[in-house]
Amino acid sequence: MNRSHRPPTSHTSRVFPAVAALILLLSGLASSSALGQPMAKQLQKLKALAPARGYVIAHKDVKNPPKLFGGPISVTVTQSSGGVFVALPDRRRLDTYVFGTPSMPRAFAGTPGINGVPPPAREAEDDHYTRMKKPSPFGDKYLVMADGRMELHAVDATAVDGATTEDQVRFKASWKDKQGNTYEVRCCGMLASHGMEFPTFGGVVTNHILHGVTRLGTALMPTEFAYVAFWGMGEVRKNGKVLDKPRLIHGMLTEYVRGEGYKLAFDDEVTPTRMQFHLMIPPFMPDPPNLSFTEKPVKTGFTLPNGMELPFWHVMFENLETKAERGQ
Amino acid sequence: MMTFRITLLSGLFTLSVLSAACSSAQTPPKAPPAPDAVVGMTNTLRFEPDTVRVPVGGTVEWRNTSLLVHTVTGDPARATLEGSARLPEGAEPFDSGNLEPEAVFRHTFTVPGVYGYFCIPHEGAKMKGVVIVSPKQ
Ligand SMILES: [Cu+2]
Repeated sequence: MNRSHRPPTSHTSRVFPAVAALILLLSGLASSSALGQPMAKQLQKLKALAPARGYVIAHKDVKNPPKLFGGPISVTVTQSSGGVFVALPDRRRLDTYVFGTPSMPRAFAGTPGINGVPPPAREAEDDHYTRMKKPSPFGDKYLVMADGRMELHAVDATAVDGATTEDQVRFKASWKDKQGNTYEVRCCGMLASHGMEFPTFGGVVTNHILHGVTRLGTALMPTEFAYVAFWGMGEVRKNGKVLDKPRLIHGMLTEYVRGEGYKLAFDDEVTPTRMQFHLMIPPFMPDPPNLSFTEKPVKTGFTLPNGMELPFWHVMFENLETKAERGQ
Repeated sequence: MMTFRITLLSGLFTLSVLSAACSSAQTPPKAPPAPDAVVGMTNTLRFEPDTVRVPVGGTVEWRNTSLLVHTVTGDPARATLEGSARLPEGAEPFDSGNLEPEAVFRHTFTVPGVYGYFCIPHEGAKMKGVVIVSPKQ
């Protein structure tokens, strides 16, 4: 960033310009160690302002967190054939319902990309935001890959975040590129019994609204109802070989959030009557002592046309069979 | 009204078995009649072309040329969005069920009119098409 071009403006914009380059984190192009001192400070401030920080602090050490009202729910979601949609880095279009306007910004705090988006990372015209300045895992670009298989068995037993959890997840997903390489993800060696910047409800949550305006997870995905979602630590494989472990794995079965041309929906474009499953392995690692996240590209083993390794997996499964019942 | 589905691979296999079985009798295998229109199903969530015209009694063949599972669903009862499916009065609904990559589905249209159909898993992404069936001259 060229400091001499920084306009001398209000306090808000003085805080934010330094943060603009942080958005590079979203595409895995920069590491926090490469950040200058002032920028690292601003990042700390943004992280400390994560909206659910207080809530997580109240819950994270609870030894016997309360159980789900009405008893546990067991869920199975499978895709046994067909393709998957693999998201490519793209500059997300910004929804006013979620991000507000330049004069009244919303959803800016938390680790950029994992939770909020700092205003300097947003492009604006007049008094509305248009799109992100840099690419992220969330956008309209995708590749279709063959032979997508996915199997999730989850139990939501624990209601809220805590030091322990009775939630359970067994998850396996795989797909193949044109050259016949198989990419595989398995979870969870450990469930996120509590969240960092937002709650995880014991690692598994059912029948809850996430993303967008909720500030539960990234605001770059639209506000969407999740029938089931999980967060845990798992592994990333290519052709049977473990490439990266442990990695934060997030999966969720939600209402349909793509439109014509597979464009990622704004809040008022979501289709409540159809379903999608999203798998997300973000280019970040949890940082429990600081209740936050640090940047770390995923070793996916998949090379983009520009020669760079795809630093995350964001994969959608859409021909699904689902089953859910009360009880374990 | 006639509806059937085969996969290209198993179809080819059947043909080769048939031709082997029939070769001694010197009768060539009877190929299904050529469809009046062919529609592809793509990775970009489109029916291509999205509109076809056939005469009454004509057959449309859908080929899943993508890596994804799609359906060809001309059934307003299975639609969840307005405008996904419509049938002319007196026409029966049709539905291919899940079509794996390379699968083929055929449907013969015996009632003239405009048919709107869609793909169930990609209804939200507006994957839909139209068949216009013209009456006998
Ligand atoms: Cu489809």
